[in-house]
Amino acid sequence: MELLRFYSANSREALGLLTQHLWLVLLSTVVAVAIGVPLGILLARRPRWRRPVLGFANVCQTIPSLALFGFLIPLPFIGGVGARTAIVALVVYALLPIIRNTYAGIAGVDPAVREAGRGMGMTDRELLTMVELPLAAGVILSGIRVATVIGVGVATIAAAVGAGGLGVYIFRGVAVVNDTLILAGALPAAVLALAADGLLGLVERRFVWR
Amino acid sequence: MAVEAEVGALVPWAEAPARRVSRALKGAFPGRAGPSGHGKRIVASALIFLGACSRADKVVVGAKNFTESDLLAEIIAQQIERRTTLPVERKLHLGGTFVCHEAIKAGQIDVYAEYTGTAYTAVLKHQPGPGADSVRRLVENEYASQWRLAWLEPFGFNNTFAITVRQADAERYGLKTVSDLAAVAPRWKAGFGYEFLERADGFAGLSRVYGLRFSAPPLAMDLGLTYRALADGKVDVIAGNSTDGQIEALHLVVLADDRHYFPPYEAAPVVRAEVLERHPEVRRALAELAGKLDDAEMRRLNARADVQHEDIRAIARDWLTRVAP
Repeated sequence: MELLRFYSANSREALGLLTQHLWLVLLSTVVAVAIGVPLGILLARRPRWRRPVLGFANVCQTIPSLALFGFLIPLPFIGGVGARTAIVALVVYALLPIIRNTYAGIAGVDPAVREAGRGMGMTDRELLTMVELPLAAGVILSGIRVATVIGVGVATIAAAVGAGGLGVYIFRGVAVVNDTLILAGALPAAVLALAADGLLGLVERRFVWR
Repeated sequence: MAVEAEVGALVPWAEAPARRVSRALKGAFPGRAGPSGHGKRIVASALIFLGACSRADKVVVGAKNFTESDLLAEIIAQQIERRTTLPVERKLHLGGTFVCHEAIKAGQIDVYAEYTGTAYTAVLKHQPGPGADSVRRLVENEYASQWRLAWLEPFGFNNTFAITVRQADAERYGLKTVSDLAAVAPRWKAGFGYEFLERADGFAGLSRVYGLRFSAPPLAMDLGLTYRALADGKVDVIAGNSTDGQIEALHLVVLADDRHYFPPYEAAPVVRAEVLERHPEVRRALAELAGKLDDAEMRRLNARADVQHEDIRAIARDWLTRVAP
């Protein structure tokens, strides 16, 4: 009830923060896909790189967000304060599931199918785009789905470097122990995470090879 | 045996003390198999007593989520350990002012270091204004009557909000006071912690009193990161704490609050009155520290923790052996 009153009194601000939040998640996921999927394909081609790259992505996942921001603020181009730093941090956190699932999806393609493609005279590129990626699409998409859902939650920390988003309500609420404020940030973030999960679940079902 | 079983069933966690009491009673009445009716009553009242103080027989020291609060808590904890026989539990780095306040009201912690001005404006929600003595008196009275919390003597320093800029900028523009800042503010960018933006004695009042207008609304961010952002030139003004060790280390300067907007923020231990009644030795132990810690000394202790990364336990131990051997 109090929450509804809060939203009606601050609807413009709340919508602004929600939009900011969506942008943070969207941009960071797109960048993470652009880096993670090629990297995953590369790992499937060069199995020897798998351990160091996945190990690195694993380590990145464990860096506490405030510590990561501390490292990022002094850096030129990718650092500073504001949305850019937050997006860099979110990309770092989104990489692991995307790389891992892309690798797993392609490595999981039946060797017999790959041989058949080769036998038909496919080049490496044709094999990738016409056989491996379509077969791995389901697994890759589920990696992106996991990364997005995590991103919606993690994006609340963007408020710590002045990048806005729904985390602003959470940080403000925690600073003054105001449960309504905390909920005003946490509840839409949770709903957003569920919505993203459902939506990407639908996409995944369409693309899965059956 | 019957008593043990009964009480054990009623209050599961009381079973161990019950057994100990009953064993002690058996020792006291060697001829009998168990406590008599009279003994039962003793056991029962002993148990009620044990139940009541099982939680209070240790002192829980809390702290807010920044170095100085952790240091003061560690000093309080070690002083209680040195001067009394009470076990001390530390719950450091809990959260902001309001988190600690809720925790001590709920009895989750027994003592933490609070600042008079913070209690006056942020907790009691008074408008900033009166001088140091009246703030302290008011805060003492209202804490005692509203929540049975006692303010002990202050440590001796005043950790006010510090409107902080880079030294180079201060020299270039001749900035000495917050009033000087008003002239350059329209071209500058500010970054503040969430608490400063939300508090009654925070940014809203400051900008009104000094007529501060920045190029954009101040960036809201994590307090610890604001120092970093200022030192790296990402923002131009922050609100730090005047006893912070980072200020000197990062070549920053504090602008004087020439219109006396901020109330005094004298740090003092706030203790649950119940704890002081049951253990007056806690009050005696902490009274030894009154007035022993001035601004410069506090800044040095903070710098040892934040800049030289020394263990706060060692810093607290050194300081205590020096001022209260």
